[in-house]
Amino acid sequence: MKPEPLLEVENLAVALDGKTIIEHVSFSLEPQQVLAVIGPNGSGKTVLLKTLVGIIPPAHGVIRWRPGTRVGYLPQRFHVDHYLPMTVQEFLNLKSPAKGALHRTIAAASMGEKWLRRDLAHLSSGELQKVLLAWALLDEPQILLFDEPTENVDMVGQESIYKLLHRLQDTMRVALIIVSHDLHVVYRYANNVLCLNKQMVCYGEPEEKLTPDTLSKLYGDYAFFHHRHSNHQRDDHRYGHE
Amino acid sequence: MTEPFLIILGSGMLVAAASGLVGSFLILRRMSLLSDALSHVALPGIALGVVLRFTPLWGGLAALFIGVILIWLIETKTKLATESVTGVLFVTALAAGALLIPEHELLEAFFGSVEKITLQQIAFQTLIAIAIISVALKFLKPLTLFSVAPDLSISVKVSPVKMQLLLLVLIALTISVGISFVGVLLISALSIIPAATARNLAWNYRSFLAFSVALAIVSLAGGLLVAQRYAVTPGIATVLIAASFFAVSLFWKK
Repeated sequence: MKPEPLLEVENLAVALDGKTIIEHVSFSLEPQQVLAVIGPNGSGKTVLLKTLVGIIPPAHGVIRWRPGTRVGYLPQRFHVDHYLPMTVQEFLNLKSPAKGALHRTIAAASMGEKWLRRDLAHLSSGELQKVLLAWALLDEPQILLFDEPTENVDMVGQESIYKLLHRLQDTMRVALIIVSHDLHVVYRYANNVLCLNKQMVCYGEPEEKLTPDTLSKLYGDYAFFHHRHSNHQRDDHRYGHE
Repeated sequence: MTEPFLIILGSGMLVAAASGLVGSFLILRRMSLLSDALSHVALPGIALGVVLRFTPLWGGLAALFIGVILIWLIETKTKLATESVTGVLFVTALAAGALLIPEHELLEAFFGSVEKITLQQIAFQTLIAIAIISVALKFLKPLTLFSVAPDLSISVKVSPVKMQLLLLVLIALTISVGISFVGVLLISALSIIPAATARNLAWNYRSFLAFSVALAIVSLAGGLLVAQRYAVTPGIATVLIAASFFAVSLFWKK
């Protein structure tokens, strides 16, 4: 028997200022599954996540969450003002966590107790991402939506966040929707992949759907293959080469 | 010190506490210039009060609310650049107010006048200040989150649109009760300078809020006391005291 999906999306379209950003997007996600969303810059990946969590209203179509689903969202950009006087603990407390949740969460996000006293403004972007992850984990979500940053993320941070997400999938049994720029991440972690370029170009298992044809449709031939080739050596031992 | 002066001092300290608290959100949200511009909107309202002989405070308050609604509509409903529109709107309001108001009253409206505060006005200001402080503390977490990370506020079911409106209303109320002490031109200084100073001194969020409130109170109380002894307008003394704290805090900064 198939489990009831956490999320079903049917024929979703989103418009901003009257301009269609994405359309004809349909997919579903079961508990503990990982869906990777890939596509070139400006293809509407971030908009899709923002629509799923309710920041942007859909123009058309249906988004059906299983009732009572707790959703954690890690936005792509989390700009912290250089002078913001706030510790990690004060920031996490803004969510009014249940008693004990704070300490459970930082442990789950691989952060030690001394993290709580650190200044938010002095964290690197990779460290901030961990804080955001802790924020999302505070109310024990069944699904995490992770919008991978394109720039300014220290490589160490980026590598560990995927390991971390993978571990969370095992230990906390969360489902994941990951917006990624890195095909390694997709092949390694995702059950399904959704290729987006304004419209849904492909949807299904990565090994089956990520054909050269699809990829060139998605990224354009030359830029994509040239890029992959020249970075191939280094790609093997690091993530997020974009 | 006379009894009325002590009452004014007490009321002023509450108004200052409200300013310091609201000012900290303005600094975090980078809205300090908006509050400065908004304060000018009070002038036509005050002018109407002076000309038509009703309490200028009410006119100022009404004008501020119209200003708040206008900003909110511009921000949420139009694609106009908020900065330029508010710039145009508020300088116009300032000019219109200055035109309406009799010249000898103009300086008072600009820089505040404590002598003219009536007991009724003091009671009203004090109540509003207490209301501002209670609402700001009740909504402390959502207001803070909205100011620091608007994108995350939706994840805790906080509507950014409503928080923006709440913040604007709090600013308008703070301006309206502070005007009689420091005037239209200096009022934003009472909320911005203490918060900016507090940011230089604070080691966490709690201390930031505490410094901001304390510095606003000390500055206004100091201003009123100095004005009592020397021939200075309280508003000017207050702002200069607040500014000297800021100057000192620059050296303190980590």
